[in-house]
Amino acid sequence: MEDTIRQNIMSRRYGRNRLMMTLSVVAAGLGMFFLAVILGTLLYHGISSLSLDVFTMSIPAEGSRGGLLNAIYGTAMVTFFAILIAAPIGILAGTYLIEYANGSKLAEAAKFINDILLSAPSIIIGVFVYGAIVVPMRGNSAIAGIAALALIALPVVNRTTQDMLLLVPNALREATAALGAPRWKSMTHVIYRSAWTGILTGILLAVARISGETAPLLFTAGYSKFMNAGFTGPIATLPVAINTLAADPGEDLKRLAWAGALIITVAILAINILARLMGGRRQ
Amino acid sequence: MVDATNGADFSRVDVASITKTFKLQDRIFFFMTLASAALVVLMLLAILVVLVIDALPTFQTFGLSFLWGTVWSAPTDHYGAVPAVLGTLISSLIAMLIAVPLSFGIAIFLTELCPGSLRRPIGTAIELLAGVPSIIYGIVGLFVLVPLMQLYILPFLIATIGQVPVIGYLFQPPAPGVGLLTASLVLAIMVLPFITAITRDVFLTVPPMLRESAYGMGMTTWEVARNILIPYTRRGLVGGVMLGLGRALGETMAVTFVVGSVTRLQASIISPSTTISAQIANTFGEADGLQLSSLIALGLLLFILSFCVLALAKWMIGRSDSF
Repeated sequence: MEDTIRQNIMSRRYGRNRLMMTLSVVAAGLGMFFLAVILGTLLYHGISSLSLDVFTMSIPAEGSRGGLLNAIYGTAMVTFFAILIAAPIGILAGTYLIEYANGSKLAEAAKFINDILLSAPSIIIGVFVYGAIVVPMRGNSAIAGIAALALIALPVVNRTTQDMLLLVPNALREATAALGAPRWKSMTHVIYRSAWTGILTGILLAVARISGETAPLLFTAGYSKFMNAGFTGPIATLPVAINTLAADPGEDLKRLAWAGALIITVAILAINILARLMGGRRQ
Repeated sequence: MVDATNGADFSRVDVASITKTFKLQDRIFFFMTLASAALVVLMLLAILVVLVIDALPTFQTFGLSFLWGTVWSAPTDHYGAVPAVLGTLISSLIAMLIAVPLSFGIAIFLTELCPGSLRRPIGTAIELLAGVPSIIYGIVGLFVLVPLMQLYILPFLIATIGQVPVIGYLFQPPAPGVGLLTASLVLAIMVLPFITAITRDVFLTVPPMLRESAYGMGMTTWEVARNILIPYTRRGLVGGVMLGLGRALGETMAVTFVVGSVTRLQASIISPSTTISAQIANTFGEADGLQLSSLIALGLLLFILSFCVLALAKWMIGRSDSF
C-alpha cells in the first residue's frame, strides 16, 4: 500500500520533471530556430542581391543600375563622428563618477540619470534632436544624425567605463599616489591602461549598437539618394535606406534593401564577435 | 622625474614649480571629468525641456483630456493618446507573456541541462541574436511572419478562439497579417535573447552548494529550478523582465513594419493597429502644427513610461540579495 503511494508520487514527480525539461529543451530549440530563420532569410535574399554595384554606386531610381555606396558611406561617417564625440566624454564622465565622486549622493543620481539615458527609447532621442537641431537648422543633416547617435553611444561608454574602473584594484591607485604621481598621470598612465580592454570592448559594443539604429536617424540624418560627403545636407544611412527601400513597390529596390540588410547585419555581428574576443582575452 | 632621481644634483629640480604644474594639470583633468559628467546630466534635462516645450501646444489645446482622448484624427485636427498608448501596452504585454516563459526555459536549459561543450556556443548564439539591429527583425517579420500569419495562423485563430464568447472579440477580422499580435510576436523574439541573458546570469549566481544540496536531497531538475533557482533569484529575475519590458515598450522599427499603423480604438488584437513609437515613426515626417506637437506629447508619455519601468527594475534589482 505505502509502496504504491510512494511509487505514484515518484512517477508523478518524474513525469512532471520530464515534461518541464522537454519544454525547456524545446524553448532552447525555438531560440536557435529564430536565429536560423533570421540569418537564413537574410542570406537567402541578401546573397542573391549582392553585386559589385552595391558597393560602387549610389541608390538608383527603380529600373536603373545602382547600389548602396552613399548609404554605406553615410553609416560609416555618422557612426565614426558620433563615437569620436561620445567616447572621450563618456570615458571622462565615467572617470568622474568612479574616481572622484564615487559613493556621493550626487554621483549616485548622475549614475541613475545615465541609466535613464541608456534605456531611453531611441526614437525619443530622434525626436529630441529634431527639436533641438533639425528645426533650428531648417532641415535634416549629417550633423543632426551624428548628434543623435552620439547621444545614444554616450551612456553606453559612460556605463562601461564605470564598470571597468570599478574592477581596477585600489592598490594600483595607492601605488601611483605613493610614487608622487599626480592624479591625471595616474589615470592616463596606469588606471586607464589597466582597464583599457574593457573600455574598448564597451566602445565597440556602442559602435555595433549605433550603426544599426534606424529610429533616431529617420528625422535627423534623413535620407538621400545621392552621395553627400558634407555635414550639412541630409545623408542616407544603411538602416534608413533599408527602411525606405523595403517599403518601395519596386522589386529591384527591395532586393537592394535585402543586400543592405545582409551587409549591416554581418558587419554588426562581426563587431560583436570582435568585442567578445577582446573582452574574453582579458579574463 | 627620471633625471631627478638618477642624477645626483637635486638642487636644479624646482620642486615647487613641478608641484604647481602638476596641481594645475590635476585641476584641468578634474574639471574635464566633472564637465563630462555634468554634460550627461544636462542632456537628460535638455531632452525633457525640449519634449515638454514642443508638447505644450497639445496640452494647451486639449488639456489633460489628451491623455484619455480615444480619437486620433488628422483631418479634424483632434488628437487623443489612448489608441497609441494602449497599442504599446498591449503589444508589450503579449510579447512578455510569450518571451518570459521561453527565456526562463532557455536559461534553465543553459544552466541545468545543457552539456558543457554546447553551453558556450548556444549562449553566444543567443547573445548574437540580441545584437541584430531592430530593422532586421522588422523586415524579416514583414516578409516571413506576416504572410504566415495572414494565410494560416490568423484564419485559424478567427475560426477557433474567435467563435468563443467574450474572448472572441479579441480575435475578429479584418486580419491582413499585420497587426498587434504580429507585432507582439516580433517583439517577443526581439526581447527573448535579452531576458535570457539576464536570467542565465542570475541563475549562475545561485551558490553551487545550495543547488547541490537540493539535488542531493533527491529533487528533480524541475524541482530545483522551481523551488531553489527561481525563489533565490526572484528579484533579479523580475528586474531582468522589467528591463526587457522597457525595451519592448520603446522598440520602434521592428513594430512599425508589422503593426499596420491604423490609429483606431478597437478590441481585436489581430487587426492593424498602432503603438506610440510606430505612430511617431510613420507620421512624424509629414506632420506639422498640432499633429506634430501631439506626436511629441506621445513621445513624452513613452519616455515617462520607460522611465517608470526602469526605476521599478532598479528598485527590484537593488533590493535583491542575489543580483
